[in-house]
Amino acid sequence: MSFQSRLTCLAGCLAGSLALIAGAAFAADSDTAKLTKDPKNWAMQAGNLNNHRYSELKQITSKNAKNLTVAWTFSTGVLRGHEGGPLVIGDTMYLHSPFPNKVFAIALEDQSIRWKYEPKQDPTVIPVMCCDTVNRGLAYANGKIFLQQADTTLVALDAKTGNELWKVKVGDPKLGETTTNTPHVFKDKILTGISGGEFGVRGRITAHDINTGKVLWKAYSTGPDNELIVDPNKTMTWTDGKMAPIGANSSLKTWQGDQWKLGGGTTWGWYSYDPDLNTVYYGTGNPSTWNPRQRPGDNKWSMTIFARDLDTGMAKWVYQMTPHDEWDYDGVNEMILADIKVKGKPRKALVHFDRNGFAYTMDRVSGELLVAEKYDPVVNWATHIDMKSGRPQVVAKYSTDKNGPDVNTKGVCPSALGTKDQQPASYSPRTGLFYVPTNHVCMDYEPFQIEYTAGQPYVGSTLSMYAAPNSHGGMGNFIAWDAGTGKMVWSKPERFSVWSGALSTAGDVVFYGTLEGYLKAVDLNGKELWKFKTPSGIIGNVTTWEYKGKQYVGVLSGIGGWAGIGLAAGLTKGNEGLGAVGGYKDLAKYTELGGVLTVFALPDR
Amino acid sequence: MKPSRLPQLLPMLLLLLLPTSIALAAPAAVQADDFPTSGRVEYVLECMQKHDGKYEYLYKCSCVVDRIARALRYDDYVAMSVALRNQSLAGERGGEFRDEVSVRNMASKYKEIEAGANKACAVPQR
Repeated sequence: MSFQSRLTCLAGCLAGSLALIAGAAFAADSDTAKLTKDPKNWAMQAGNLNNHRYSELKQITSKNAKNLTVAWTFSTGVLRGHEGGPLVIGDTMYLHSPFPNKVFAIALEDQSIRWKYEPKQDPTVIPVMCCDTVNRGLAYANGKIFLQQADTTLVALDAKTGNELWKVKVGDPKLGETTTNTPHVFKDKILTGISGGEFGVRGRITAHDINTGKVLWKAYSTGPDNELIVDPNKTMTWTDGKMAPIGANSSLKTWQGDQWKLGGGTTWGWYSYDPDLNTVYYGTGNPSTWNPRQRPGDNKWSMTIFARDLDTGMAKWVYQMTPHDEWDYDGVNEMILADIKVKGKPRKALVHFDRNGFAYTMDRVSGELLVAEKYDPVVNWATHIDMKSGRPQVVAKYSTDKNGPDVNTKGVCPSALGTKDQQPASYSPRTGLFYVPTNHVCMDYEPFQIEYTAGQPYVGSTLSMYAAPNSHGGMGNFIAWDAGTGKMVWSKPERFSVWSGALSTAGDVVFYGTLEGYLKAVDLNGKELWKFKTPSGIIGNVTTWEYKGKQYVGVLSGIGGWAGIGLAAGLTKGNEGLGAVGGYKDLAKYTELGGVLTVFALPDR
Repeated sequence: MKPSRLPQLLPMLLLLLLPTSIALAAPAAVQADDFPTSGRVEYVLECMQKHDGKYEYLYKCSCVVDRIARALRYDDYVAMSVALRNQSLAGERGGEFRDEVSVRNMASKYKEIEAGANKACAVPQR
């Protein structure tokens, strides 16, 4: 190194470290929240920090939605379940795929691929993923794209080039730890979770520096107070009709021995963030195993809503929805932050549609329980939530714990899939209502004794699922819900469960996808305006954006059971079969085959 | 749910139930022939692909989908073929397709209709 360049480095490196110090001191916000305020973008998986899945765009309305037509399609080249959806920032779309977790940067102008990233991952991670090799999408901040790979690697890519900037591993697949969640950018941090509740992992979330990936804090769902990051005197929970401190060892004393070490409480859902309160909200999953007899106690804090300070991770309040789970009713579903009237009084509310079939409305500042009502009338495992204790009143004949191992508990509603799984609902500030994709499915559940082996399934139950009896015969509904009163406004029956995330817009249109592969648009009364059959079942989330003055709506389809599978296989071979050789070769520059993003717009006049 | 909403819901429930029961009870009686062109093309492309892309299957597969379209309303065809495709869906949620009797029935009914159409159109079963 010459003297000259050493001097340059001295100046440059000094400036660099000064910038670092400044960054640390002022904890500069990322640009993510600001980007979400421009409805032309779709800069977070949920559209904004509040998990609203709502857009101000209104070119597409309840009057003209019937004219929607295909604008373009893009295939990921992967034939597994496609959850989540694309991000759109400015003139670029960023799209992910299931394992092997490819990332594409696509120019909106001509749908050409700007760059593609494909991580090298050990395929042995596939068998430890309980529920298909899904991935719920990317995150964006400050010119970086974040991917949470299946093998638990969190990676930051340069949004312009796709080059790796940093990566960190947040778990160990050999212990059954995998990841399926989207990472969430809140302020200057990126938060991620863990999956593997079926493998006896110990759930937690970690907050990372967006510039380096460094772990800033890590908070477990189960275990000693310091690892939970709780203050026994200041962390509050709903107790006897009011908020009270959780006290010391709140988790440890609800488990037998050291079972909390395999306690589950995974964190693969949709988090939200309130910048005014500097609080992040998320839910934890089922306790391991599924055989409840093997883990006496409330199993805290599995099945819990957590409210934590974003900077320190300190829990402000917690609320356990399903103490001592006996049915696999994970509590990870999206936490929607909405300022609504609850029982006539304006509240900063948190609304959560739990797998257990109850929709909860909480005061997100204090953690008070305000409303807890069934959002499907067939829910039968509990008669109601006792509003004083906050506990579900379990019906004895549906208690898989009381009935015990090797007894088949029949007719439990909802099934282990929940009245709703992770597929996120939409909140429209225009109507003040929530639009919710649901399951209408019941089950027979038979737990059995199981020994824990690291990296092996730790389920301990067999079950059988079927459409809710004595109802419309279908297995799903798409509903509108009033979280201020805890009442259903309308319900639209579906033949199969609705496993796609909903979208509502200022054009008074609500979108969702079905397992038949239909993307549907309904009006504010649930009346179907339009539907379009995409190539496979839809378990992705509907998104919308604007480019060059035009509003687009896009959704991923792909669940397996591919209508286009033969087509996909054929096209990769280029000249076989269909006789359109040249055309398809050109196409390769633009698209791969497999799961398909179908993009719609109104036709030009 | 408010009881007052029920009357509004009932027609929707009936609408859902009606085609299903008709399709399952007497598929041949439904002569809607309402498949959109895209639905037929999709079927033919996939069917051709299954048979190594041989050109003769353009005709044979078209024959099959036309027969299916005469036997089933498009919506029912979509639901029933999805029921069949997802019998092998991985994971816990595949149970929704495998365990539920009416979905299994849809799958087997569709399999039967398709097999009949294949036979009539000289398409070997694959």
